[in-house]
Amino acid sequence: MIQFHHVSKTFPPDSVALADINLAIDKGEFVFLTGPSGAGKTTLLKLLFRDEEPSKGQILLNGQNIGRLTSRGVARLRRQIGLVFQEFKLLPRLSVLENVSLPAEVIGVSRKESHKRAYELLGELGLQKKYNARPLSLSGGEQQRVAIARSLINNPTLVLADEPTGNLDPQIADETMRVFLKIRERGTTLIVASHDVELIKRYGTRIIFLRRGRLADDLERVTKEGKRA
Amino acid sequence: MSWSQVPFVVRRASSNLRELRWTHMLTSGTMAMTLFIFGFFMLLESNLQGLLKGWGDQIQINAYLDRGLGSGEMEGLLKRVRALPEVLRVRHITQEQAWRDFRAALGTQSNVLDGLPPDVLPSSFEIVVKPEFRAPPLMDGFAARLKQEKAIALVEYPQDWIDRLSLLVAGVEWVKWILGGVLFLITFFIVGSTVKLAILARRDEIEIMQLVGSSRTMIHAPFVLEGMVQGLVAGAVAVFALWGALELARKEFSFSGGILGAPDQWQFLDLNGMALILLLGWFLGFAGSVFSLRKFIKTWQAS
Repeated sequence: MIQFHHVSKTFPPDSVALADINLAIDKGEFVFLTGPSGAGKTTLLKLLFRDEEPSKGQILLNGQNIGRLTSRGVARLRRQIGLVFQEFKLLPRLSVLENVSLPAEVIGVSRKESHKRAYELLGELGLQKKYNARPLSLSGGEQQRVAIARSLINNPTLVLADEPTGNLDPQIADETMRVFLKIRERGTTLIVASHDVELIKRYGTRIIFLRRGRLADDLERVTKEGKRA
Repeated sequence: MSWSQVPFVVRRASSNLRELRWTHMLTSGTMAMTLFIFGFFMLLESNLQGLLKGWGDQIQINAYLDRGLGSGEMEGLLKRVRALPEVLRVRHITQEQAWRDFRAALGTQSNVLDGLPPDVLPSSFEIVVKPEFRAPPLMDGFAARLKQEKAIALVEYPQDWIDRLSLLVAGVEWVKWILGGVLFLITFFIVGSTVKLAILARRDEIEIMQLVGSSRTMIHAPFVLEGMVQGLVAGAVAVFALWGALELARKEFSFSGGILGAPDQWQFLDLNGMALILLLGWFLGFAGSVFSLRKFIKTWQAS
């Protein structure tokens, strides 16, 4: 599903964020992207939803080179991807239901239909009762679940989460991860950038380590090949 | 952008208009003032043009005939003049008719003519020229051809007044476009600033819309719609304000407007004029927002 071929990203003048990354992620995989701060986790995610362009190399998503997309193509790409951020990025003026339904309305789904979908998703994530609340009246965990619901409204094939538990206490972080596991059951590919080692140990099925912009380790692949337990 | 996305754009635009209503009202007010000033000059120009047309309809050439002209020669001359392509109609004014007209024109002071012989005035032709030949150079040429007739002693027509009024109309039109142009330019930037404020207020929303796959058109459309609504509202306000001002002048003032006459004789803009003001308002709003969006979102994304 996702292939990185010798991908590098350099920010001017000469700050190397990623260097010669080669990796492949299959459909339905749950991947943790980890490494110390500045390792390039966020940059790698940004390359995937084309917030950044690679300086070198190719990124293929379902066989399509996403480095060559026009602005219209980028918009189309993002409609297939759900995004979750550490700081939730919810709109305080809108209700929970409106926040969740926004990505659907943007692509032309009727208000009625998008609200229906949003309401169902909120039900799955245990937030149906709070559909009319404003995001700022919710707890951090609830806000993150709203953000996750928003990322799922258009049935994406890929969900990218950048430090989704960074602002949450351990118990809520655990709940959030269980939500991600539920998402995986739908067959959605999940890539979660995190430096929460405990969480990764508990939930990580495949762990990609980045260090100073380079791919330092890819644990699942190693495990599959039987070289490491 | 597809039709199914239109309701979303309309909802976003109306929500933006509600949330920044004072800013939008201020911008609409500024646009309305610009359009009002422009409309005032349109009104002035259209009334002057109406006057010019009225004068043009009344314009006639007086060809005074030689005194010794026999009736046969006069009939021949009348036939020749009638056959000229410029002529709409000709009336022959006899010496007696001219005398009666002159006395009537003098009214109570007509006794000054007592003692004068009734054939003191020459007979003449009052020639009404077809509208397509009323332009100054054509009139000059026609008058010159009439003068070539031996039996015509003098040719007179009020071209000077027409020329002066035409010049005044042209002057008003120039002032309208120059002053209007400057005001439009200022308004254009004011609209741009409002859109900039709206973008700043919606920065987080724009960012999220970009992240969830909104096309550029979809992100820009609500702001452009806001600009167009502002412009149309401003145009409508300007038309109503002009109409109100004219009505007030008609009711409350009885001064003479110079060559235009008293306010109660002034005409309001026709449908085309009103539509032009609305269209200009709409265009100002549209162009101001598109310009600002392109410039501001590009700068913001680059930063």
